[in-house]
Amino acid sequence: MKQEPKIGVYICRCGCDVEGNISATVDVEKVKESAASINGVKIAEVYEYVCSNPGQQMIRDGIKEHGLNRIVVAACSPRMHLETFKRNVKQEGLNPYLLEIANIREQCSWIHDDKKLATFKAIDLVGRAVERARILKPLEEKAVKVNRDALVIGGGIAGINASVELADKGYQVYLVEKGPSIGGHMAQLGKTFPTLDCSSCILTPKMVYVAQHPLIKIISLSEVTKVEGAPGNFKITIRKHPRCVDASKCTACGECAKKCPVTVKNEFEVGLDQRKAIYQPFRQAVPSAYSIDKEHCLYFTKGVCKVCQKFCKANSIDFTQQEETLELNVGAIVVSTGYEILDPMGVKQYSYGLHPDIVTHLQFERLLVQGLHKPSNGEQPKKIAFILCVGSRMVENVNENDYCEYCCNIGCMNAIKEAYVFQKEVPDAEPWVFYTDIRAHGKGYEEFYARLRNHGVRFVRGRAAEVMPHNGHLRVRAADTLLGMPIEEDFDMVVLSSGLVPSSGTENLARMVGIHTGSDGFILERHHKLRPVDTQREGIYACGCALGPKDIRETITESMAVASQVATFLGKGEVSVTPEVAVIDEEKCNGCEECLKICPARAVEKVPSTFRTRMEINPMSCTGCGICVPVCLKDAIDLNHCTEDQLMAQIRGVEVKDDVSPKIVAFIEKNTAYASADLAGQTRAHYGTNIRIISVPSTGRVGFKHLLQAFAHGADGVMFVEGEDSVFTGERLREHVARLKKDLQACGIESLRLVSTTITIPQYPKMVDTFEVFTNRVSKIGPLSSKVRSEIEKKLKKGESK
Amino acid sequence: MKRNHVHVITSQMMDKSFLADVMKMRGGKNVLDCIQCGICAGSCPAAWAMDFTPMQIVRMIHLGMKDTVLSSSTIWICASCYTCTTRCPRGIDIPLLMSALKTTAIREKIPARIEIKPKFHKSFADIVQKYGRIHEPELFLKITNKTDVRALMQNAALGWTLLRKGKLKLKAPKVNQKVQWSSLFANVAKEESK
Repeated sequence: MKQEPKIGVYICRCGCDVEGNISATVDVEKVKESAASINGVKIAEVYEYVCSNPGQQMIRDGIKEHGLNRIVVAACSPRMHLETFKRNVKQEGLNPYLLEIANIREQCSWIHDDKKLATFKAIDLVGRAVERARILKPLEEKAVKVNRDALVIGGGIAGINASVELADKGYQVYLVEKGPSIGGHMAQLGKTFPTLDCSSCILTPKMVYVAQHPLIKIISLSEVTKVEGAPGNFKITIRKHPRCVDASKCTACGECAKKCPVTVKNEFEVGLDQRKAIYQPFRQAVPSAYSIDKEHCLYFTKGVCKVCQKFCKANSIDFTQQEETLELNVGAIVVSTGYEILDPMGVKQYSYGLHPDIVTHLQFERLLVQGLHKPSNGEQPKKIAFILCVGSRMVENVNENDYCEYCCNIGCMNAIKEAYVFQKEVPDAEPWVFYTDIRAHGKGYEEFYARLRNHGVRFVRGRAAEVMPHNGHLRVRAADTLLGMPIEEDFDMVVLSSGLVPSSGTENLARMVGIHTGSDGFILERHHKLRPVDTQREGIYACGCALGPKDIRETITESMAVASQVATFLGKGEVSVTPEVAVIDEEKCNGCEECLKICPARAVEKVPSTFRTRMEINPMSCTGCGICVPVCLKDAIDLNHCTEDQLMAQIRGVEVKDDVSPKIVAFIEKNTAYASADLAGQTRAHYGTNIRIISVPSTGRVGFKHLLQAFAHGADGVMFVEGEDSVFTGERLREHVARLKKDLQACGIESLRLVSTTITIPQYPKMVDTFEVFTNRVSKIGPLSSKVRSEIEKKLKKGESK
Repeated sequence: MKRNHVHVITSQMMDKSFLADVMKMRGGKNVLDCIQCGICAGSCPAAWAMDFTPMQIVRMIHLGMKDTVLSSSTIWICASCYTCTTRCPRGIDIPLLMSALKTTAIREKIPARIEIKPKFHKSFADIVQKYGRIHEPELFLKITNKTDVRALMQNAALGWTLLRKGKLKLKAPKVNQKVQWSSLFANVAKEESK
C-alpha cells in the first residue's frame, strides 16, 4: 500500500531569534512560508534548537498528531546530528531512512553574508530536501550471522601477540606463517631498547604459549592463496608446503643436520654463516621440528642421499609428503606480515657488499648474539661507525626503488642500543654514531639517548657521505654539520641502519584480501588516528610493521588493539548490514560484468545459472559508493537511499528562480569532501551562493544522465569534489571525468563546464578556491544558451519515454 | 677553512623575496626539501676551500641571506663534480643551483669574497670569445695580474714542463668560421640584455 507523503519540515534557528547561528543570516520565517506552500508539506515549524529535547519532542508530536510520514530537518550538517534525529523518529515508529536533513548552517548561513541571497539558498536547500524526502523509501538494516573464528596472517611478534590476545578472549585462531617457525624478526634480535631486555627471553615464552594454546592452530610453511566471501564469513584457501619431516615425531635432536652434506646460506643469520638443507632456523623454533629445504636437498635435486632418514632416531623424516591445500572458514582476518630490511646495496656510497665488515643493523644484531667479531677475520672490533638513515628519508636516488621516503622509526634507537651493547661487550670500545636527526620519541628513549651521550658514544650530526676500504680499515667521511667541517675517521667495522620496507608479498596479499596499500607500500588504515588498525574493508584488520615501520612496544599495542577490534566485530555474533547498498535488478541484468570490473570493494558476484549468467551484489561487502550505477549498460543497478529518482529530484531542485549566476552544481562525496565543506562553514570561509552542493556517496555515482539533468535545470557548470581517501580517486576519477567531458562535447556543451578535484578534510581552503576559480571560469564562458538547454531537455524526455 | 664572520643573523640580512627568487632559478625548485643532513658537505671534495659548505648555503637560502650567499666563495669554488647531487637524499641539484647563483651574483654586481675565481671565469670567457678557443698563457697572465712576479716564479717549472711536452702553445689559437662564432656571442649578449 502506497502512503500519501505527509511531510513535516522543522527549521532550526540554532539560537535565539536574530542572534541565532542560522537565523542571523537566513530569514527562517520566509523559509517556513515557502516550505509550507510546497505540495505534500503538512506542517512547517521554526524552533530555536531543534536538536534539543523540546525540539525533538516537537518532531515526535508532529508524527503522533499529524500522522507525518516524512521528516525534513533544516539545521546543521547531517554529520552533527543525523544519528540523533534518526533515533528520535525511530522512537515514534517512523523508519529512520525517511528522514532528510537540509544543511542550512555549515553550507549556508555560515558562509554567506547577504541575507537575501542566503535566504534564497536556504529556501532552495529545503525545497530540494522536501523533493527528496517525498520519494524516500523505508529501508531495514539486515543482520547476518558471523563465523567466530579468526585468521592471522604472519607469525611475527604482531601476529603472535594478536593470536594470544584473541585466543585468550575465547576465539579460535588460525595463525598462518610462511616460514618453518613463528617468531619473525624479533627472534633475530639480541637486546631491545631502551630497557635492554633480551629479545628471545621475552619472545620465546609467548611462542611456547601459542604452541600450547588449545585455541590456536599454527599453520607453518603456508601461504594464503585465495580469499572469498564477505566480512563475517570469509572462505580462505591456504597452500601448505611439505615439511618432509613429521613435526609430531621430530624431537629436534639435530642429528640429521649434523649428517646432511648440503650447506646453504643461513637466512636467520642474515647470510653471516651457513646452514644445512635440513634445518631448524633457531633452537627455540616453534613448531619445534626440523624441515627440509626442497630447493637444495640432494634427494630432491639429484635423487640420491637420504642420509638424514638413516640417522633419524625418531623416524620422523618423510620424503613422500606432498603440498596440501587447506580450506578455512573465518569471520575476520588480521594481516601482520611485517617488514623487510631495505637492501643497502642500492645506496652505492656505503660500499655495502664490497667489504665483509660493512654490515646491516640486523646482521650486527646476529653478530652481537654470536659473540661480537669481524666477519672478515673473526677479530674483535674496537671502533665501529653506526650510519643512520641508510636509504631512508630519501625522495630520490640514483638507483630506482632502493630507497624509502619515510623515516624507519627504529634506526636511531636501535643504533644507540647497539652502540651500548658494543661498549658492554668490548673493553675500550669506541662507538661513533653518524646521524641525520636523532628521533627518540618513545617513553624512556630520550633518557636512554642522554645516558649514552654521557658514556663515551660519539654522536656526529651529519649523514655519512661515503665508506671506503682504506689500509685495512674502513674510512668514513662525513660532514660534522654542527661545525660545518668535513670529518674523516677510520673504523674496524661499519653498521648501516638500513630502512624498513614492507614484506615482499604485502602488495599481492592486500590485493587478494581486497584492501589497499599506501604510496609507501604499507597497508592503509581506515583512519590514521581514529581507526589505526582497521583496513578499508570491514572484517579485515592489520597490525605491526605491515602498517608501517615501528618498534616492538608499538607493535604489541597494535596487536592488542587489533584483538579488541576483531573481538568486537566477531563478538556480536552477527553483523548489521547497512541498507545503503547497491542492488541489481535481476530482470534487467544481462551479465555483462561491467559492474564486476569496476567494483572497488569486490562486492559483485557472478551467479551462474542455466538460463544466463547474472550479477549479484553482496550487501555485506558493498560499501555503497555507487560507482557501478552509471556504468551499467542496462540501467539494472540502483543504489538504496540515493536512488536514481531521488538523485534526479535533488538535481531538479536547482532550478529555483533567483538571480544568481552562473549557477554551479557541486557533487560532493559524502564523507571526506562533505566534512571539508562543513569545515569551510565552521571557519566562516566565504563562497558565492551560486554554488549548490549535492552530497553523493562518491562522485562515481554521478553519470552522464545526471549531468544533463543538471544542465537542463539551470546549471551552468558542474563540479566533482572527491575525498582524497575515497575509493574513487586518481586514475578512476580522471577517466570518469574525461569520458563525461567527451560526452558533453558531443551534446554541444563546453567540456570546461565540468571540473573535478580531490581534497582532504583540512584542505577546505582549496575547495573554496576551486569554487571561486571555477565560478570565474564559467562566468567567462557565459551561461549555457537556452537553445542547448532545451535540446538537452528534449533528449532527456526521449530517454524517459523509452 | 676561511670563515665569514657573521656574528648575529639579523632581519636586515634577510631578504624576504630571495627564497622565492631562488626557487624560480634553475636547480632551486626544491631547496625547501632539504633536511640539512649534510651529505653534500661531507661529499664535497672542495668543501675545505669554501667559506660555507653547500648545506649551509642552502640553509642561508631558506633564511633569505641574499648578500651572504651571493658573496660567498662557495658558489665560485663549486667544481660541478655532482658528487653531492648523486648522493643527496632529497634530489637537490646543487651544482646547477650554484651556477644559477653565480649568474645572479654577476648580474647584481655583488663582489665575491674570493677574487680569483670570478676573475678566472671572466677571463676564461673573454679568451674563448676572443679566439674561439682557450689560450692558457694569456689566461694565466690575466688572472695573475700580469705583473705578479711571485706567481710567475712559482709556476715557472710547471710551465716549462708543459711547454716542453707541447701541452702549452705560446701562439694564439685560431678557429675556422670566426664570424659565426662572434655572431653566436652577439646573440647571447642580445638575449641577456633583454
